[in-house]
Amino acid sequence: MLVIENLHARIGDEDILKGLSLTVKPGEVHAIMGPNGSGKSTLGHVLSGRPGYEVTAGTITYNGEDVLALETEERARQGIFLAFQYPVEIPGVSNMEFLKASVDILREHRGEEALDAVTFMKRAREACTLANLDHSFLKRGVNEGFSGGEKKRNELLQMMLLEPSLAILDETDSGLDIDALQVVAEGVNNMRNDTRSFVLVTHYQRLLNFIKPDYVHVLADGRIVRSGDASLALHLEEHGYAWLDDEVA
Amino acid sequence: MSQELIDERIGKEYSAGFVSDIESDTLPPGLNEDVIRFISAKKDEPEWLLEWRLEAYRGWLEMATPHWAHVDHEPIDYNEISYYSSPKSFEDRPQSLDEVDPQLLEVYEKLGIPLHEQEMLAGVAVDAVFDSVSIGTTFRAKLAEAGVIFCSISEAVHEYPDLVRKYLGSVVPRRDNYYAALNSAVFTDGSFVFIPKGVRCPMELSTYFRINEAKTGQFERTLIIAEEGSHVSYLEGCTAPMRDENQLHAAVVELVALDDAQIKYSTVQNWYPGDANGLGGIYNFVTKRGVAHNRSRISWTQVETGSAVTWKYPSCILRGDDSVGEFYSVALTNNCQQADTGTKMIHLGKRSRSTIISKGISAGRSSNAYRGLVRMSPRAEGARNYTQCDSLLIGDRSAAHTFPYIESRNPSAVVEHEATTSKVSDDQLYLCQQRGLDAEKAVSMIVNGFCKEVFRELPMEFAVEAGKLLEVSLEGSVG
Amino acid sequence: MPNNLMQQPLAAASAAAPNWLAAAHAEARERWQAASLPTRKTEQWKYTDVSAIDREFVPGRAVSVDAAALDARVPDCGGARLVFVNGHYDPALSSSDPAAGLHVARFADADESQATLIQAHLGSVVGMDRHLFATLNSAALSDGVFLQVDAGATVHAPVQVIWLTTAQTEAFAVNQRLLVLAGDNSAASVVETFVSFEGEAASFTNGVSEFVLQRGATLNHYRLQLETGSALHIGGVHAHLDRDATFNSFHLGMGSDLKRIDIVIEHAGEGAHAEVNGLYLPRGREHIDYHTCMEHAVPRCTSSETFRGVIADAASAVFNGRIHIHPQAQKTSAILHNRNLLTSAEAQINTKPELEIYADDVQCAHGATVAQLDELSVHYLRSRGISRDEAQVLLSFGFVNELVNAVRSEALREFLRHLLAARFSRDGAALTQEADA
Repeated sequence: MLVIENLHARIGDEDILKGLSLTVKPGEVHAIMGPNGSGKSTLGHVLSGRPGYEVTAGTITYNGEDVLALETEERARQGIFLAFQYPVEIPGVSNMEFLKASVDILREHRGEEALDAVTFMKRAREACTLANLDHSFLKRGVNEGFSGGEKKRNELLQMMLLEPSLAILDETDSGLDIDALQVVAEGVNNMRNDTRSFVLVTHYQRLLNFIKPDYVHVLADGRIVRSGDASLALHLEEHGYAWLDDEVA
Repeated sequence: MSQELIDERIGKEYSAGFVSDIESDTLPPGLNEDVIRFISAKKDEPEWLLEWRLEAYRGWLEMATPHWAHVDHEPIDYNEISYYSSPKSFEDRPQSLDEVDPQLLEVYEKLGIPLHEQEMLAGVAVDAVFDSVSIGTTFRAKLAEAGVIFCSISEAVHEYPDLVRKYLGSVVPRRDNYYAALNSAVFTDGSFVFIPKGVRCPMELSTYFRINEAKTGQFERTLIIAEEGSHVSYLEGCTAPMRDENQLHAAVVELVALDDAQIKYSTVQNWYPGDANGLGGIYNFVTKRGVAHNRSRISWTQVETGSAVTWKYPSCILRGDDSVGEFYSVALTNNCQQADTGTKMIHLGKRSRSTIISKGISAGRSSNAYRGLVRMSPRAEGARNYTQCDSLLIGDRSAAHTFPYIESRNPSAVVEHEATTSKVSDDQLYLCQQRGLDAEKAVSMIVNGFCKEVFRELPMEFAVEAGKLLEVSLEGSVG
Repeated sequence: MPNNLMQQPLAAASAAAPNWLAAAHAEARERWQAASLPTRKTEQWKYTDVSAIDREFVPGRAVSVDAAALDARVPDCGGARLVFVNGHYDPALSSSDPAAGLHVARFADADESQATLIQAHLGSVVGMDRHLFATLNSAALSDGVFLQVDAGATVHAPVQVIWLTTAQTEAFAVNQRLLVLAGDNSAASVVETFVSFEGEAASFTNGVSEFVLQRGATLNHYRLQLETGSALHIGGVHAHLDRDATFNSFHLGMGSDLKRIDIVIEHAGEGAHAEVNGLYLPRGREHIDYHTCMEHAVPRCTSSETFRGVIADAASAVFNGRIHIHPQAQKTSAILHNRNLLTSAEAQINTKPELEIYADDVQCAHGATVAQLDELSVHYLRSRGISRDEAQVLLSFGFVNELVNAVRSEALREFLRHLLAARFSRDGAALTQEADA
């Protein structure tokens, strides 16, 4: 279970999150929506421990463990996965090497047996198929020369192979055409179960047509200003974010 | 374009090439300790400065002419040069510009630099240096109100001896290099600028250098000190008459930017480049360097179109943390000109940053080299450099070279260097001509576009001037 | 040469060399004797100190070597293999499997017609007056390898030349020379591997390779500098490309106190193309210096060059990449990239990409960067559970891997992957596994 309480975070001198609180129980899907600049992406970065983001107050615990005290890789090993809004290109390191190194370490951490090369390959290819990526993408450098949509689907591929218990999707839907969006949604829906939770960070309601969230939260000026069920997203779709200004003020 | 037409054009291209018939007191050619004593005595200098000069001279005698630059010229006979020349009318030093020989003022007017305050470019204070002496500095009173000192270095030696003694040679040591040592021994005049703590200099400061007398060298010395938190923008211009023999110009410029200070130093160098066959012209062997302390910024912008041979590397010692060094350069060579110019960015301070933008244009049979050094010292944590060197070749007999030295000893420092070479393509010319422009106009437009990034760093009046200058310098470059 | 440097090896070479080499000896010796060692004031040696060479060396002598120990250190690409131990040909370790169209001879036992060919081409590329150490090499010649590829022949299996230095009790010098003559429209590959078995005594290897590519010839060349310990190496690769010839040359430098390689490629016929890639990976207190020069003397040639370095610990590296476009060389396209990673506070890099251009209708560009590993890339890997250390290994490996992937021989690619994986990590196997799956 993820518990975020009164989270304040900044980049440099700029305060971005100003008291965000959120609880995500196992098996739940939460959508976080909000206008540009509301701090949506910062939440994902802070959860993953990205350099440059400073937490000035508040706590984050995951299954009782203090997340903020953990290194980035330790968070990943605890089962937290962030699908990047802008996945990083790493020329020279093949997707395959990268995935194998990552899967090996996570399995080891979970006390699972290491996958032999043949089994791993088989799984990687299956995941490719599900993510609608050609198998040749496994041999290419990580995200190297991938289109925007391919990068997003590569994030999905990683998520499927790493089997996190909590996945945060940071605007994974942005820049995707409808077919790619459905691929991502299907991937997420296939992975939904009683223990795995998702946080979908998104600007548009569109993604939620395909992944039905249990809760929708509206983020504005660094805080959650409204929470509700899936119908809240529809309300936002209809009325935009402007009406929030009154509430924040 | 016909050859005759080209020749005719070139013949008249250097508009600052007139000789003024001004009676001068000129020391006979030759260099020895007595000459240095003479210069020092003439300027009524204190004993320490004479000793300082002599020490530099003795160092120079032990040094060898540097040969590493990509230039080729006849060896210089230092005993053929006269080291001091002063207009006769300066026997009794004029106390103000009003007392200056009107004939001298006319020279500057002819060059487009009126020295009468009422006619002057508003907002630009000028120090005019004629051969070996400063003939006057404008707007002194107004500057004094702000606490800014702007005068000739000879005056500063008398009026602000402590400042001069403290900073002279502090950036460019006397034995720094062959030409700096020579300058330290025989320098005659130049400008002195002091901006006190927290002061934003109320106007542009500028010095205009003019070599007039034959067989003389010009060895000026400029010292600019910007105290904590102060700002100054300084411009430098130069011309010389057309003469068949080569004349030596070996200047030293020292900049000191204390914490949080900013110095912007712009040069439009238009020394006589020699004729189309490489006869005559100025040898411009100059040492320019600044020290930037914490959070300070030193910015060099140069437009180099003149001189027969240029040997010049305006540099920054980024001593302070978060200090910034910049070098924006346009160097244009035509006919037989040779230029070896660039910069050094020595990163000592943490997070110090530097930017180098160099645009070299080679036309005719000229040779144009960029030579640079970026050094990241072990303690330059997080320092950054970005360098871009572009060369443009006009005609197939010109040469363009790039010699960037990069030395890094700090893993967190980032250095990026890029260089490209291009030509003015026939397609570009054709397009422009098809739109009704003649070839020269087209080339000048293309060249101006190529230099845009540098020109926008120049103060407005200079940017216009620089564009015109390029146009003139390019005349005859396309046939 | 002050101190009569190299007198013993030179005397030994004279005694051992075939008579017909004597003429080359005489001129080279005269030049060597008249010269002095470069100092840090010599522009070409500004960042590399050769004072370690200023000492007495004895000639290398033949010793017997364990074949298995050697095999573990060198690639196996099939094809003919020539092994020299301390400068002496070792027939037991060598295997000649002459493919059709390929002739392999040693200077020491060349027949008359081969000797004539060798004389015609030896020194024709490197000359006597350009590189002091190449001149020393010519002065100290007693043996060497001559490869001739017939016009029109395509030889698939690479020829492997292994230059091994191994323990002697006194500091010793080894002189090695390769001459390749690739006939019109021929195609072949050569792998040169320099290795050493560590001993107490320092060794100084002077390895010069000359390549003559005639019209339309294609040659793939690999030069692996893998000597370890106190081995010193100063060498050169000099290629002459005739019309439409293609020279692909790959370089790897790692492993010992001092290595300096000069690579000079002369585009002498229109349409010639050179691709030169290299990696330098010094660590500890090692010093590696690559000086490259692309001479474009005629129109319409191309060259492309990429060198990358990872400099660790207190090691230092030098890269100097020069592109020289002569006045007639219109329509040249020449490009050079150099990237460097410093992975330690004491590591040093000095790089200088140079352009010297005397023709206007050309496309030339170069770029050089120095940095450490990209923080965002490290973070991305860590966010997938990979530790910081491992992320650095993966990224360093990735940084060099791009050039390894461009190597044309699969066997060599495989060898390099293992070698480099081991260089960047103790557990190298995990990295290479599956890379080709």
